[in-house]
Amino acid sequence: MASYYPEPTNIWESIEYSSLGTSIAESLWAFPTLETIHVIALVTVFGTILIMDLRLLGIAGNQWAVTQMSKDTLPWTWGAFVLAAITGTLLFVSKASTYMVNPYFLTKLGLLALAGLNMAYFHFVTYKTVSDWDAAPTLPAGAKLAATVSMVAWIGVVFCGRAIGFTLGIYY
Amino acid sequence: MGDFFYGLTDWLRGTFLLDASFWIETTGLNRLLVENFWAVPMAQVMHIMGIGAAFAATLMLTLRVNNLAGGARTMPQISSRYMPWIWWGLLWIAISGIVMLWAEPVRNMVNGVFWMKMLLLVVTVAITLVFQKSVRTASVAGGPAWNASGGTKVLAWLIVILWCLIMAHGRWIAYAPV
Repeated sequence: MASYYPEPTNIWESIEYSSLGTSIAESLWAFPTLETIHVIALVTVFGTILIMDLRLLGIAGNQWAVTQMSKDTLPWTWGAFVLAAITGTLLFVSKASTYMVNPYFLTKLGLLALAGLNMAYFHFVTYKTVSDWDAAPTLPAGAKLAATVSMVAWIGVVFCGRAIGFTLGIYY
Repeated sequence: MGDFFYGLTDWLRGTFLLDASFWIETTGLNRLLVENFWAVPMAQVMHIMGIGAAFAATLMLTLRVNNLAGGARTMPQISSRYMPWIWWGLLWIAISGIVMLWAEPVRNMVNGVFWMKMLLLVVTVAITLVFQKSVRTASVAGGPAWNASGGTKVLAWLIVILWCLIMAHGRWIAYAPV
């Protein structure tokens, strides 16, 4: 079958013009379906992280042990994140070169990295002393800072995600 | 299913909703929202954040009812933590949704997918009211060892599924023929 796509000039165009990329782009239902799953996954990620962050900030669920709350929410955060990452990658593949020049997409990737680093620092450094403050209603500054950075990063991720949809085709 | 929604939208075009949408487009608030590029995206961000808060609270409630998470807390403790977030979240979702509707009335009100979403929302709110009332009453009466009945467990998951369907319709509003 003849290809209607030009020769790719960079890696992003190669990804976009791949059979996977063009199949998603050409399908009437694939992109919106992937978006739907992406939305359901990302609100689960955001919502379960919000529950944990509100506890760390001392706003809601303060009588609950932090370790217990983490055990209740974290499997869902991770499961939904994997789903969001898979669907997000497939959405990316179908428009790779357009996304790679979009500043909101690049900012979103940066904010995801920030959220990841923040979580890693919290887990490997701040969380080491969790037994000292697990059930305390007010938590150490490190835990509050982690929750604040987390909320800023994730709200930023949601904002950039929406902004991408409104700015496609503006940047070349 | 496409045909069904196409027919529904076609029918909506003949109702008062079209004129109502045109009237909204003459209001000052509509002008303000239309002329500010970031108004709709910001309202959508608010909408998504509210859905995150309310949906995750719904999910946690469902997991506790099904003994899959939150077992360290009693059901009344779980209820008082999550149920208010569902209702305040829904209010937040409704306000941000009205802003979005006011900015793009034709796209929403003359759209079969939007009205199916509203129908699902009403059904979900009604079932949630019944579900929460029954869980509150039964769990207080049953004490710390209370275990939900099979019907309550299924109802909890049904609400989660309905939320997912509402979100799916929300995304497909953008792809429906207007």
